[in-house]
Amino acid sequence: MATAGTEDVEMKELPAPAAAPSNSAVTSSPPSVLQNLKEIASLIESGAYAREVRRIARAIRLTMALRRKLKTSVVSAFLNFVLTPGSEPHARLCSYLPKEDDHEMEVDTASSVVQAPVKHSLPELEIYSHLLVLIFLIDQKRYSEAKACSSASIARLKNVNRRTVDVLASSLYFYYSLSYEHTGDLAEIRGNLLALHQIATLRHDELGQETLLNLLLRNYLHYNLYDQAEKLRSKAPRFEAHSNQQASQYLFYLGKIRTIQLEYTDAKESLHQAARKAPVAALGFRIQCTKWAVIVRLLLGEIPERTVFMQKGMEKALRPYFELTNAVRIGDLELFKSVAEKFSATFSMDRTHNLIVRLRHNVIRTGLRNISISYSRISLADIAKKLRLDTENPVADAESIVSKAIRDGAIDATIDHKNGWMVSKETGDIYSTNEPQMAFNSRIAFCLNMHNEAVRALRFPPNSHKEKESAEKRRERQQQEQELAKHIAEEDDDEF
Amino acid sequence: MDPKLTEVSQYFERFKAACVREDIDTSANLLSQLKVLLTSFRSLPPLFEVTPNAVQELTIARDIYEHAVLLSVKMGDQDAFERDFFQLKPYYTDARKRLPRSPQEHMILGLNLLRLLVQNRIAEFHTELELLPAESLEDPCIKHAVELEQSFMEGAYNRVLTAKQTVPNQSYDYFMDLLAKTVRDEIAGCSEKAYDFLSINDARQMLLFSSDNELLKYINEEHPEWEIKDGSVIFQKAKETAPCKEIPSLQLINQTLSYARELERIV
Repeated sequence: MATAGTEDVEMKELPAPAAAPSNSAVTSSPPSVLQNLKEIASLIESGAYAREVRRIARAIRLTMALRRKLKTSVVSAFLNFVLTPGSEPHARLCSYLPKEDDHEMEVDTASSVVQAPVKHSLPELEIYSHLLVLIFLIDQKRYSEAKACSSASIARLKNVNRRTVDVLASSLYFYYSLSYEHTGDLAEIRGNLLALHQIATLRHDELGQETLLNLLLRNYLHYNLYDQAEKLRSKAPRFEAHSNQQASQYLFYLGKIRTIQLEYTDAKESLHQAARKAPVAALGFRIQCTKWAVIVRLLLGEIPERTVFMQKGMEKALRPYFELTNAVRIGDLELFKSVAEKFSATFSMDRTHNLIVRLRHNVIRTGLRNISISYSRISLADIAKKLRLDTENPVADAESIVSKAIRDGAIDATIDHKNGWMVSKETGDIYSTNEPQMAFNSRIAFCLNMHNEAVRALRFPPNSHKEKESAEKRRERQQQEQELAKHIAEEDDDEF
Repeated sequence: MDPKLTEVSQYFERFKAACVREDIDTSANLLSQLKVLLTSFRSLPPLFEVTPNAVQELTIARDIYEHAVLLSVKMGDQDAFERDFFQLKPYYTDARKRLPRSPQEHMILGLNLLRLLVQNRIAEFHTELELLPAESLEDPCIKHAVELEQSFMEGAYNRVLTAKQTVPNQSYDYFMDLLAKTVRDEIAGCSEKAYDFLSINDARQMLLFSSDNELLKYINEEHPEWEIKDGSVIFQKAKETAPCKEIPSLQLINQTLSYARELERIV
C-alpha cells in the first residue's frame, strides 16, 4: 500500500466521535460548508488512490463554488481535520490564518462524524489545504500573507511529482501569481515562474505548462515587455489546449502582442476567438477582449457594428470606445481629438493609449474616403479644410496625404497639381470584379474552419465539465469504489 | 578608489577627448580597450552583483556605452549602433533603481527610435515605444521621433522634411539624411500613381532637388519608365490596370479544391 511520496506525515487515528459540542460560538459557520469541504477531501482522496485526475478537477470546481462562504473557523476546522494537528504543514498553514479571538485548536468534534477512522495525509490533501488557505487569504484581501503562503506552497510543490497533483498545482500557480500581482511585485517571481515552467515541461505536465506560460505572458505584458513576451511565446512548446480558460487567456495575450507588432489581421482573429471561448461568467475578461478587438478593427479600417457595444453588462465599460468609433466613422479629426482627451484616463488604464494615437491616421483616411466618394472634383485647399488638418501648410500636407492614400489604394482618384484639385474616378460595378468571390471565400473558409475545430474538440476525453455519467461509467465507478473499500478493509486487517 | 576603476576612468577621459577631436580611429581603439576592461567588473549586467563600488562602476560603464553609441552615429555604422545600444539598454531598464537618471537617456532613446524608423522596422518601433513610461513621451527628443513616425504613416512627407530643421540634437542629422532619401523614394512612388503628369518645376520642388539636372539624373536612374516631354514629366499611366478580364484561374482552382476537400470530410 503505497503512499508514493514518503512525506513526513504519519497515520493519524481520529478519536472516536466525541459528541461534545464545543463552544458553539466558534462553529458559527453553518456545518454544511464544513461538510462540503470534507466531501471534497474524500473526493480528492479517492481520486488520488484511483489516479483519476478528473475527480480532483471536480473537487476544485466544487471548492470554487464554496469560496464565498469560507470563514476562518471553517478553514481552521478543515485543516485540523485533514492534517495532523501537530505536524509541520499544519502548523505552517495555521500560522497564515488570521488569528481571531474565538479561534482555538478545535478538537475534532462535530467534524469526525463522516469519515472513516483511519486517515492518511496524502500530498494531494496537503496541497489542497494550501490552496484552500491561499484562496481564503486572497478573498480576504490579505495579500502579503497570501504572498508568503503561496511562496511556501510553491516550495512544497517542487518535491511532489504526481500527475494527480498537477491540477491542484496549476491553480496554486495562478494564485501565487495573483497574490504577487496585487502587491505589485510581479517582477520578482518571473525567475521562479520560468523555473517552474521548465520543471513542468520536464515532467510533461501539460496543464501546468499551459498555466505557467499564460502566467509568464501576463507577467511580461504587465510591464509592457512585448518583445520578451513574443520571444518566449514563439519558443515555448505548443500543444492542444487542455483547459478552455487557459486557451482563451493565451489567445488574448497573443492578440495583444500581435496588435502592438502591427499585425492587425492575426490580432483580430485571436482576440475574437478569445472573446468567444471565454466562459460567459468571465465578464471582465470579455470586456477587455472586446475593447482590444474594437481598436484592432478600427486600425484595420473596419467599423465595428453597434451591437458589439450593446452586449449585456458591457455598455458602460465600452462607452468610451463607442464614442471613439463614432469619431473614426465620421472621419472628423477634431472630434477624434476631443474624444481621445476626454477619455484619456480610461485609455491609459487599459493601456490602449498608444494604439489610439495610431488611430489618427485612420481617421484621416476615412475622412478622405468619404470626401472622394461624395465629390467628383474638389480642390486641395477644401480637402484640407474639411479634414481639419491643423498644420502650418495644410494644402501641401493634404496633397501628400492624398497621394499616399491613392498609392495605398484607399481611394481611387488623381491629382491635378497645376489646378490644385483632386478628381475622383468612378467606382465601377463591383459585381463585375472578383470582390464578391473573395468575400464568399472568406466566409466559407471560416465556416469550414469552425466545423473542423468542433470536430476536433469532440475527440477530447469527456470533459470534466460534463456531469452526467453514462450508465457504463457509473458501473465502472461503483466497481472502483468497491475495490477501494475492500482495499481499505484489508489494510485494517493487516494492522491488527 | 579601486585601481581598476581609476584605470578605466583614465582611459575614458582620453576616449572622450578623442571623440571631441573627431578622431575616429583613436576613439575606436580606445573603445575596444575600454570594453575589455569593463568585463572585469562584476557589478555590471548580466551579473549585477552588489559590490562596494557598484554605483560608480555602473555609472561609468553606462557613460562609456552612451559615448560609444554617439561614436557609432558619427562613424555612420548602424550595426555598431545597434550593438552598443543593446548593451546600453539594461542600464536604463534593470539598473534604473540603482543609478540616477542619465541626462542623455532620452536623447539616446529618441535616436534609437529614429534609427528603427529609418530602417523601416515599424513593429519594433512601436514595441520600444510601449516600453516608455508616459512622462518620457513629453520629452522633446522622443516626441520628435513619434511625430515623425506619424507624419510618415499619414503620408505628410513635407512635414517630415521640415522636421529636419527642428532636430533636438545634431547627432540626429545622420538619420535625418537617410530619412530624407527614403522619403524621396516614397514621394516618387506616390506621385507616380497620383498624378498624370507634373511640370518639371513642380516635380523638382516635390522631390526636393535643387536643380533640374539632378532631377533628370534621378529619373534616369530610378524611374526610367517616366517620360519627359515638353517640359513635363509624364508618369506611366498607360499600363494602368485595364479592367481585368482574365479570371485568376489558379486561385479559383485552389479555392474550389479546398471546398471539395472540406466537404468530403463532413461525414
